[in-house]
Amino acid sequence: MTSAVQSSSPTLRDRTSDLLARSGLLIALLLLFLALALFAPNFLTSRNLLNVLRAVAFNGIIACGMTFMIIAGDIDVSVGSAVAWASALLGVLAIQHGWPLGLAVIFVLVQGALIHAGAGYIRVRWAVPAFVVTLALFMALRGAARLITNAFPITPFPDSFNFWGGGYIFGIIPVPVVIMLAVFVLFHFISVRTVYGRSVYAVGGNEESARLSGISVWRTRITTFALLGFLSAFSGIILSSRIMSGSSNIAVGLEFDVIAAVIIGGTSLAGGEGTIFGTFLGVLFIGLLSNGMVLMGINPFAQEVIRGLIILVAVLISVARTRK
Amino acid sequence: MTVVLQASHLMKQYPGVKALDDVDFSLNSGEVRALLGKNGAGKSTLVKILSGAVTPDQGSIAVDGREVTIKSPQDSFAQGISTVYQEMSLVPGLTVAENILLGRWPLSKRFGVSFIARKEIVQQAAEALSQLEVDIDLNQLASRLNVAQQQLVEIAKAISFDPRVMILDEPSSALPSEEVDTLHRVVRRLAEQGRAIIYVTHRLQEIPKVADSVTVLRDGRTIGTIPVQEATPERITQMMIGSDWKRTEWQRDAELGPVRLSVRNLNSKGLLRDVSLELRGGEVLGLAGLLGSGRTELLRAIFGLDPIDSGEILVDGTPQLKPNPISMKATGIGLTPEDRKKQGLVLVFPVEDNLTLASLHRVSSMGVLNPGKEKVLAETMVDNLAIKTARLDVKTRTLSGGNQQKVVIGNWLNTLPQVLMMDEPTRGIDIQAKEQIFALVRDLARQGLAVLFVSSEIEEVLDVADRILVMNQGRITHSRQHDEVDLEQLMALVMEEYTE
Repeated sequence: MTSAVQSSSPTLRDRTSDLLARSGLLIALLLLFLALALFAPNFLTSRNLLNVLRAVAFNGIIACGMTFMIIAGDIDVSVGSAVAWASALLGVLAIQHGWPLGLAVIFVLVQGALIHAGAGYIRVRWAVPAFVVTLALFMALRGAARLITNAFPITPFPDSFNFWGGGYIFGIIPVPVVIMLAVFVLFHFISVRTVYGRSVYAVGGNEESARLSGISVWRTRITTFALLGFLSAFSGIILSSRIMSGSSNIAVGLEFDVIAAVIIGGTSLAGGEGTIFGTFLGVLFIGLLSNGMVLMGINPFAQEVIRGLIILVAVLISVARTRK
Repeated sequence: MTVVLQASHLMKQYPGVKALDDVDFSLNSGEVRALLGKNGAGKSTLVKILSGAVTPDQGSIAVDGREVTIKSPQDSFAQGISTVYQEMSLVPGLTVAENILLGRWPLSKRFGVSFIARKEIVQQAAEALSQLEVDIDLNQLASRLNVAQQQLVEIAKAISFDPRVMILDEPSSALPSEEVDTLHRVVRRLAEQGRAIIYVTHRLQEIPKVADSVTVLRDGRTIGTIPVQEATPERITQMMIGSDWKRTEWQRDAELGPVRLSVRNLNSKGLLRDVSLELRGGEVLGLAGLLGSGRTELLRAIFGLDPIDSGEILVDGTPQLKPNPISMKATGIGLTPEDRKKQGLVLVFPVEDNLTLASLHRVSSMGVLNPGKEKVLAETMVDNLAIKTARLDVKTRTLSGGNQQKVVIGNWLNTLPQVLMMDEPTRGIDIQAKEQIFALVRDLARQGLAVLFVSSEIEEVLDVADRILVMNQGRITHSRQHDEVDLEQLMALVMEEYTE
């Protein structure tokens, strides 16, 4: 029990620890940037940096939805498979079945949201852990993607389609980067300024208190699943546009990069706490790290080890912060 | 008869409260001693000291005339003291026999590896259970047992240590009345074996059936120990209450508003039986009853948290067919739950967000929040309820218990309720905050709010309510106007035996 004396004066300490927690990642990001600028060849070129941004865009879009998922106290390991399924389905519908591209895109987006909403329904209806439900999706969607494509890439899309994943604005800024930034701004707004966003934090912070305050836990959770499914399908479409094919073999292991970015970004695995801005920094951190390691010619297997260790450190920091 | 247990001059001080103040306690072999007292009288502190969960600040404990030190539950076991707590501690996935010998399974060594010796487990467990003379299948999983059987297995577990002294902490409170007889038989049998037993209870009527003598505690002191022949319910309640308590008088409005909430013949899985009540605007209706009498269950059923089997709930005359928190909130009903940390607050939220948690619809349009409106609502509550917080964005976790409780109340007042159900709003908060909350409840009632008030402290119910309903085993057994009953009478009504 905190005494009244403590309760009236946490101001300064709270503020500094908050500031530290928030700026800790920013400082780490700057240090990483500095180190790479010094030691990684060709790192500090605008071309490379824009490439980094484009490379992280596909993950970044999904990471926004994943942040909500983890704030709500759930986790989703199926997003990589959902990306591949979206890409494969888009190829099959638009190329093999000759659907108008626009219609196929809309269909893929809607089914992405619906499949995940279904997973969310199972999650709340039978109180199954989200990890288990999405693990099933992880396997089923990857399998379904390979099933409808025989695991072959499906080509060709019309050339104009390449704009979304491979195009540039003002001849220099990759389109996916612009899309990612727009998604981040939108989700930041949702998280701080909407009833739904507040409900996500409340449900993750204390589901029982949220329910007893008359917040619909079901609607909040299912919406969170649906948003993440939508974003995964969306990212899958842009990625298809980038590689100009519908492929069932893309985005393998993407879920772990996304989850890692969210955790590095300071979102609490215990639920109830986290920010979209933190996730943005986390996405950049993972992107810079991957890029730097490639430029420095680090053995790809060693890269995986390093990534794993960094996630571990991020989780430990997150746990230590919650404990306090 | 010899003295087995002798505790002298026990003192225990918690911040702001003397839980035990120079308590002496002695117990003979073969004696069943009923231990009574209101909430906070010091019963549980005494039990915790004897069982090693808490160490006293001062005082000594002697077993068989030898002074002993009890600093941990292990010490307590080693001195032959075994405690059966109210909360069941059986592992559901293990069998009855495995539970009885939990952590002390006999092993057999084969090929240098230790295996659990199943036969011996059953054998030893059967021995413990046979002393109780009850019939429970030792190979059954604990998850299959009903509450009464679980209780008996807990007792068997305690017996398996072959204790000289057994402490039973409110063993009858969770049991249906038909099972209590078995419990009494078992307790008497244990006493016949020469064990000394401390039997904590709230049920006055069971005392002559089970106890030899009665000790009453009040405000951390021993009021007295009397033989069971002298322990009439009147005498015991008098000892429990004392004479130093004075009721606070409020200015009450004679005129009550229209009926806001009515409950008709509500039944719920044996937890609530045929409960009916009416609550008017401006009225504070107090629910008094022992633990497990159905107070919390009634509030939860009205708020749609637990399913009901039959009966009707009407708000302003309109039947609520499938009540749930969302629909009840919409009709103007609020509930400040029993456990503020687990059910009332999001502790990681800033104070401001907890104050608007239930009223997001009031501070938003088309699903978009209006931070200005939110701030106004939160600030008004901080002012009106005198919530002590440095700023609105301080995490609620850092507030004191009393201030957290005010945040829970403020959260619901912000929904502009017509009826507010308050479950144990004063639990674990300091006196000043308590008094502020009482004054607030009276004030809200004057403004026309209907309040359904639950507290384990009977004095509080008597103090704050206009009318009092007594609950007992899921039924409403009495209804009294606040001026028709005094503390002693109300206490007697609350503790009376109720049988079908």
